[in-house]
Amino acid sequence: MSAALGDEGVTVEARALTHRYGHRAVFERLSFSFRGPGIVAVRGPNGSGKSTLLRLLAGLLRPSSGESALTAGGRTIPPRERHRWIGYAAPDLAFYPELTALENLSFAAEARGLSSPAKRGRERLRKVGLEGRENERADALSSGMAQRLRLAFALLDDPPLLLLDEPGSHLDDEGRRSLASWIGDEGSRRLVMIATNDEREGALAGQRVELGSRGVGDPA
Amino acid sequence: MPASGSSSGRAVWAILRKECRSEWRTRYGLNAALLFAVTSLASTSFAVGRMSDRTDVLAALLWVVLLFAALASLAHTFVRETEGHTMTLLRLVATPTSIALGKLLFNLLFLISIELVTVPLFLIFMGAPAPRWGPLLAILGLGSLALGAGATLVAAIIAQTRGRGALFAGVSFPVLLPILAAAVSGTRAQWSGAPVTAELRLLAAYAVALLAASLLLYDHLWEDA
Amino acid sequence: MIARGLLLLWIAGWIVAAFLWAPLVPVLGETTRVLYFHIPAAWVTVLALGWSMVHSLLYLKRRNLEHDHQAAAAAEIGLLFCVVATVSGALWAKAMWGAYWNWDPRETSIFFLLLIYAAYLALRSAIDQPERRARLAAVYSGIAFVSVPFLIFVVPRIYFSLHPDPLINPRGKVDMDPRIRVVFFALLVGFTMLFFWVQSLRVRVARVEHRRQGSVA
Repeated sequence: MSAALGDEGVTVEARALTHRYGHRAVFERLSFSFRGPGIVAVRGPNGSGKSTLLRLLAGLLRPSSGESALTAGGRTIPPRERHRWIGYAAPDLAFYPELTALENLSFAAEARGLSSPAKRGRERLRKVGLEGRENERADALSSGMAQRLRLAFALLDDPPLLLLDEPGSHLDDEGRRSLASWIGDEGSRRLVMIATNDEREGALAGQRVELGSRGVGDPA
Repeated sequence: MPASGSSSGRAVWAILRKECRSEWRTRYGLNAALLFAVTSLASTSFAVGRMSDRTDVLAALLWVVLLFAALASLAHTFVRETEGHTMTLLRLVATPTSIALGKLLFNLLFLISIELVTVPLFLIFMGAPAPRWGPLLAILGLGSLALGAGATLVAAIIAQTRGRGALFAGVSFPVLLPILAAAVSGTRAQWSGAPVTAELRLLAAYAVALLAASLLLYDHLWEDA
Repeated sequence: MIARGLLLLWIAGWIVAAFLWAPLVPVLGETTRVLYFHIPAAWVTVLALGWSMVHSLLYLKRRNLEHDHQAAAAAEIGLLFCVVATVSGALWAKAMWGAYWNWDPRETSIFFLLLIYAAYLALRSAIDQPERRARLAAVYSGIAFVSVPFLIFVVPRIYFSLHPDPLINPRGKVDMDPRIRVVFFALLVGFTMLFFWVQSLRVRVARVEHRRQGSVA
């Protein structure tokens, strides 16, 4: 069962989204609305809340106030189910070290209720260039390979919304180049939000969310 | 379009299998727990000797040993996720309830594995009289269910704090105490020939109450970081 | 200011009355006096627990940290009163039956409440971030809420009772001399007011601490 895109427009919205760590506001009253497919870059200096924003959109964090919403086919997806509609890859996404790359992906696919989890896992590994590493334990992968594994995980069930946090980290130049073209490709099929300060990745985006030290963002 | 409701069952099953596989690969959890159980049993037996006539003491000792083994091991399943930073992955593939159920089922299997070794050894070392197996197994079963439900829920909380083993023991003790009381009473009763229906009802009711509370509370457990 | 003074006079006055005016219960002798402190303290323990649990649930629903301040404050004060109830109960038991502790149902119940309070506060002390602390403590409150009825009702079936049930029955009628009844209820009210007053103080401190944390960070 894969996502049927095309006629399924996915909209990601933020309404007066505010998040604080303790008393420090990471951003305040952030509002935007993006409809897929397309590419949105989330930019801002370190500590401006790029990762936090993606975590909030992924449903991993509950915002201090305001809300984010994911709408598909006219229906708002409750936060608890959001994970079924998104693909998420971030530096803090860790895999089970004692399981192989393929086992990690098969587990994820199986838990998500997808058909043929192992086959799907293999196919995704091939797509990110890890086909030889299927049976290597996740803790034996280099940081570059681990990053590819994250991207494979994000793509697992063809999600309408991709949230990528610094997707080019740990990749060498060649890796980043193919990543850029890959993102451009995906952007024509789904809504991709990238948190990045990389110029090349940022240039792919049709729209932007700027997070600054003032914490107020504006889609370009 | 993502899969629908039936995938919660699949998620639980996937998580259970993942836990079993991880446990098998690392194996330190089960080893440590068995070692702990057998050690406490051996110490007790050594200190107290054979107690064929004091079934009240035997009942208490049995459950104290089981409780200790549970406290020493049932938190691992969540602590491992926290320490390995894999909670993000888990939360992205399953709902909190599925995660909770998967972990609970694993902990139950774990407990039963420990009991399969510990209970017979206990009966032998302590020179216990032959139990009425029907009632004893029923008490062990329902007691383990309640123990698992309570301990797993508390473990999910503790895994997000600074504290570890000692905190887990202290914080879960009030929650597990009714189980201990009912199970000890029931175990004593089955040896003295009395009916155990009251204790079984109590254990069942408590297990159901804990599971119901879990269903409501697990949604609130993982909302940050 | 005036309210505090009145509360002080109220409690002080009724304590004096407890010693000089109210008669003794024949069976209990001089130890009658304990019931004016022990039972109100136990009552406040339960009241504080309920207060804390309600606010924990409210926090989960509304995510307003004020509810967490209330829950935490009530837990601390509840612990205090629980210790008072436990110790006074133990002293009474020693005077009446010769042993400080017998695991009779009432003693056991108050001890379990002590454990729950201690566990709750221990849990809180192991978490640094305010929102996470509030949330996890509230979840634990929810679990404790399920455990408490079992702890209070499991126990009587398993241990025998040493408590003077026919005389002092908190659930039912209070079968006492009218003067005893008056002092008792007066102090019950006094202790309850005392709880709410100390609670309000503690919550104010919590609010200030929370604000101060922000400016330091």
